[in-house]
Amino acid sequence: MPATDIAVIGFAQTPSVRDDARSEVQLLVPTVAEAIEMSGVDRREIGFTCAGSCDYLTGGPFAFVQNLEAAGAWPPIAESHVEADGAWALYEAWVRLQEGDIDTALVFGSGKSSPANPLELWPQQLDPYYLAPLGVDPASLAGIQARALLESGKATERDFAEVVARSRRAARSNPNAQLKGDVDADALLAEPYFSSPLRRHDLPPITDGAAAVVLARGDKARQLCSRPAWIRGLDHRVDPHQPGMRDLTTAPSATLAARKAGYDGGPVDVAELCAVFSPQEIILREAIGLPEATEINPSGGPLAGNPVMAAGLIRIIEAAARIIDGSANRAVAHATGGQLLQQNLVCLLEGE
Amino acid sequence: MCSDSGVTELRTSETKLEFPYTRTVGPIVGAFLTGLRDGKLLGTRNRDGRVLFPAVEYDPETGEALTETVEVGPEGTVDGWTWVAHPTPKHPLDRPFAFALIRPDGADTAMVHAVDAGDEATMSTGMRVAPRFRQEAKGIVTDLEAWEPVR
Amino acid sequence: MTTTSGDKKENLVMEHLVSLTYHEKLTPTLNRFVDELLAGRIVGHRCPSCSRVYVPPKGYCPLCVVATGPENEVQCRDRGIVTGFTIITPVAYYGQKETEPFVYASVLLDDADSPLGGQDIVGIPHEQIRMGMRVRAVWKPEGERTVEGISNRGWGGLGSVVEAFEPTGEPDAAPEEYMEHIF
Repeated sequence: MPATDIAVIGFAQTPSVRDDARSEVQLLVPTVAEAIEMSGVDRREIGFTCAGSCDYLTGGPFAFVQNLEAAGAWPPIAESHVEADGAWALYEAWVRLQEGDIDTALVFGSGKSSPANPLELWPQQLDPYYLAPLGVDPASLAGIQARALLESGKATERDFAEVVARSRRAARSNPNAQLKGDVDADALLAEPYFSSPLRRHDLPPITDGAAAVVLARGDKARQLCSRPAWIRGLDHRVDPHQPGMRDLTTAPSATLAARKAGYDGGPVDVAELCAVFSPQEIILREAIGLPEATEINPSGGPLAGNPVMAAGLIRIIEAAARIIDGSANRAVAHATGGQLLQQNLVCLLEGE
Repeated sequence: MCSDSGVTELRTSETKLEFPYTRTVGPIVGAFLTGLRDGKLLGTRNRDGRVLFPAVEYDPETGEALTETVEVGPEGTVDGWTWVAHPTPKHPLDRPFAFALIRPDGADTAMVHAVDAGDEATMSTGMRVAPRFRQEAKGIVTDLEAWEPVR
Repeated sequence: MTTTSGDKKENLVMEHLVSLTYHEKLTPTLNRFVDELLAGRIVGHRCPSCSRVYVPPKGYCPLCVVATGPENEVQCRDRGIVTGFTIITPVAYYGQKETEPFVYASVLLDDADSPLGGQDIVGIPHEQIRMGMRVRAVWKPEGERTVEGISNRGWGGLGSVVEAFEPTGEPDAAPEEYMEHIF
């Protein structure tokens, strides 16, 4: 029985940039501090800390340990780490808070994609017998998924371009966005293919960045925040790993996660979807069952800035920010892990 | 590696990480990889009689352990594809090729592999392909060097 | 695939070399440290809150979680105390370049609170190396100094500028002097 009195009360993120000269922990130090300051919690009173990052991305075994220095781990703190997006760290913290003995938790996620070539790095997240030795890269897999979507009749290349154009237009009002501006679909469609039928703009940018969130329970949240963003439901599910053993035009695990999180397709003001390739927004919209009226990725989403391992957590931040500032009352945030939307997390947020 | 620099220009570094994995492959993946050496393609049959390819140890839908291997192919059908115009050093071919979902005859699912098609215009969903095996087997998935269009 | 035993084992294992290359700028903090190092100086950052000195500088204090910068830079003497060490007998694993037993010591510089890890100790037989031993840096001649091996990763060693530390011959430090700083 999930608790319904856990809320986001503080958050921060770095701007998404192509190449930040600071180290991952140097990105985290001011970001974590800013999230804690916004929450009003005393750092030393935080009951639990959980971080998400990827050692392959950072480029060193046990690289995640150094990131913990951004949380101030002395005197010793209760903490954990997930080798996944910070959204999964938030999930662990949310579960931990339900035990009822602590009332605050700190979550952060961070990643720098600039040092290594993502096309060469990410095959390492795949099955090491049949896929990784072939160097099967995310852009190629997304190209296969995109063509499946086209040939199913569910979308056109123009639909992909419209997703990109809308993302970049929305990102103009996001000070943290990396790619923003007024582009029209015709101009995008004139670009050459990268992994056909995808063009370079259908792929996420290469981004360095970090994000942090403070969660609080019940009265503690109400006491510290005038309008907490309550987590009404949170769930994550997974689909089969082999791309040839499932229908790539659907994301059943996203559907299931949304239902288990308590979202049944009703009205929501805002949805922040971690659709890192433009066709995935179309797939997710259908899988989660979002109404036509819902505003999708008002931040610009991952196509406007994709700090891997923080990008999903940022979706929760962007959704929560709109609850906290009163511009939305009900929001859905989504995060993804693995290839081709294999693993999906859905978070349903509401105001009072 | 580094350059003499002023106050604002930062030195660059290069770091190479290497992990020489020796992986145990077990009876199912091992059979598949050994099959490639002999020019055979193996899948596994599940309770419903469907043949999953490449051979997997568990049915991803039910979690049931699979033990019956089935020879499939050698020719197959392209179920989906993309074109790789600029291969990386990690890719199986050093010239432009397609990554495709290939379903061998007799199999009900597809594997991701390379199609050495020469030109993107050659590619289409539904096209027929045949495997090309490497002369000297290494016991890994690239012993199936690539698939080629059947002309 | 290369396997060491017969056919039967060959069916059960596969070899897969994962090789990844990372290119990146040194952080501004580390780049400044290297500038000074090449000029024969070792600098650190003093935390404005707790006064601890970190060498190499991190750009923040991990205990107080406050940022530090050039305004917090301090120069350290190039001498200190061995706070811990081991002698490693190398096994020929993939990538191991050492062939003879070698020293891996932590050296706490006199003006620092964080020891330098992974330092070589020369000028004394391995069996006589001990905690508390006072040592000084052995600098490479100016023309031979490079920053090969210095990157944002790992322990931020001194690379091939300070090649090792050697005993000064002074009396050993008492454990109380370094017991809070041994790793």
